[in-house]
Amino acid sequence: MTHPHTHTAGRRTGNPAPHGGRSAAPVPPAAVPRRGPGGRRALVGLFWAGLVAAVLPWWLDTPAGSLDGSAAALTAAGRITGLVAGYLLLVQVLMMSRLGAFERSAGAERVSRWHRDVGATLLVAVLAHLSLIVVGYAAEGGRSVLGQAGELLADYEDMVGAFAAAGILVLLGLTGVRALRRALPYELWYHLHLASYLAVALGFGHQFSNGAQLFPPGPVRTGWIAAYALVVAALLWGRVVAPLRFNLRHRLRVADVVAESRDTVSIYLTGRRLHRLDLLGGQFLRWRFLAPGCWWQSHPFSVSAAANGRWLRLTVKVVGGHTADLREVEQGTRVWAQGPAGTFTAAHRRRERALLIAGGSGIAPLRAMLEELPPGAALIYRARTPDDVLLHRELDWLAQERGTDVWYVVGSRDDPGPRQVLSAPGLRKLVPDVARRDVYLCGPPGLVEQSVRALRAAGVPRRQIRLATFEL
Amino acid sequence: MRRALLAITGLAAGTTALVVLKGSPGAVQAAQGPPAAASPSGGATPSADRATLGAKPRASATTPAATRTPTARATTARPTSAPRATTAAPRATTRRVTGPVVENEYGNVQVQIVLSGTRIVDAVALELPQETAQSDRRSDQVDGRYSGTSGQVVQRQSADLDTVSGATATSESYRRSLQAAIDRAR
Repeated sequence: MTHPHTHTAGRRTGNPAPHGGRSAAPVPPAAVPRRGPGGRRALVGLFWAGLVAAVLPWWLDTPAGSLDGSAAALTAAGRITGLVAGYLLLVQVLMMSRLGAFERSAGAERVSRWHRDVGATLLVAVLAHLSLIVVGYAAEGGRSVLGQAGELLADYEDMVGAFAAAGILVLLGLTGVRALRRALPYELWYHLHLASYLAVALGFGHQFSNGAQLFPPGPVRTGWIAAYALVVAALLWGRVVAPLRFNLRHRLRVADVVAESRDTVSIYLTGRRLHRLDLLGGQFLRWRFLAPGCWWQSHPFSVSAAANGRWLRLTVKVVGGHTADLREVEQGTRVWAQGPAGTFTAAHRRRERALLIAGGSGIAPLRAMLEELPPGAALIYRARTPDDVLLHRELDWLAQERGTDVWYVVGSRDDPGPRQVLSAPGLRKLVPDVARRDVYLCGPPGLVEQSVRALRAAGVPRRQIRLATFEL
Repeated sequence: MRRALLAITGLAAGTTALVVLKGSPGAVQAAQGPPAAASPSGGATPSADRATLGAKPRASATTPAATRTPTARATTARPTSAPRATTAAPRATTRRVTGPVVENEYGNVQVQIVLSGTRIVDAVALELPQETAQSDRRSDQVDGRYSGTSGQVVQRQSADLDTVSGATATSESYRRSLQAAIDRAR
């Protein structure tokens, strides 16, 4: 699979002088101001405070030294894990509420990573809660474990729903396993995930009818119900009210669909008041094209050009059933969008200089970001064949205008050229100060893994490596 | 994924630590917030569980003529010495004697009996576990079976009552509080 055009040539260096030989008429806009990590830290702090607040009632209600005997200890552990599970479930729903606070200060990518980690923990907490309570109650009453489970189902209020909720969560946890998730079509997986709302509803009752801390009326019960109300409000705001406002304000429509290569299209959108759109290059929106066959699916795509007040553009590679339909979208089609979201932007940089590594259609967010980075950035663009190089005219132009170094690395993964570039010495040779740069990565998983390994070997701290991954 | 594993380990370790901290008898008693119900039975019995049955009656005996309802409506404003005196009186003077608070893992039980002479004419549960809807229901069953002017307490005139199935712990606590009240009355 060696390609004849394998080469690492094509280096274009930006002008070293700030405004070069060209007239400085279109002065490139200054780099976007930075946005610090304050918002994200506040969210993390809130999370831990909430966790303490969730378990505190148990701690205060339980007299010290009262847990002698294994049955009492098991039941107590079951109560703790139950409170933790109840809290984590709310956190999970809240994180998926698409609130601007999460989407733009923590970043949708990071939030989805949190969602996965918290999800695994939640699953374990739910199973631990269930088994500890059943075993604990069985030991207290001197019954068999199965008999106790039957009694819980038959005699206790709301327990059938609670068991069903646990079953749903286990099922969802299984579909979260990476291998299985890959095997499922995204659409099916997405709709299965909606069942988690059912789990929240089914699990609601038993916390209050059988929860030792939540049954008696008082501040704890009120607070717990208030937390539920808050999460539902956040969900309504993030999923209904905010998108409604956004779309009524901007009214996006498809202006044009342009083929960029054999399997990639750019979709240009226009709308109203786009100059007031708070959009950063590298951010993405969730798009719903209101055309027959497409309207019921929403997909995240990055914009492939920074906000310019006149139009938006997304550049999409045709891979699935949905993206194939996008080629046939007609001009004038209304588009429902949610967002923008993401911290994969120039505003979230830590260092003054950046190295961007793109693979294939992963160039889209990086192309948009290039317009907003400070001068002196570098871009390594991996593509399989010369035909797969997208937007290269724009990239060349940006290299000129913004003093960016651009390298096109074309060839198959196993060719010596690409292999040499994407290794620690190769990276250091191209970008000698790589360890002092932010590195933005976007591309297929294989490339991302290989690059991260090489970058780490080249001495780039982990926190300076940013990934744009849409897997959720 | 590594972080998820860390979080799960943290969950297990945290839960165990909390249970151990609360469970160890030598633990600091400071953090006893809201449940004021634990205090009436006195600091003498910090660990009240069915495992320490033997210790319980002694503890309740040491508590002096505790918890008498001051709102006793009929006669007997006379406190402790009254019981013996009234045995002689044929008149139906009723008095109320309250048993100690007995704790179990579901909550507290406290029984009050109404005596006419030496005869128990009524039994009231002042306190029963209502921690959850389930324990609430069990308590209702126990209360319905034992208490009242025609309940088992009045029928049998003793603390020798049938255990309510499914509510063993609460039945047991009820009998203990009742027995202590009867002892106190005679």
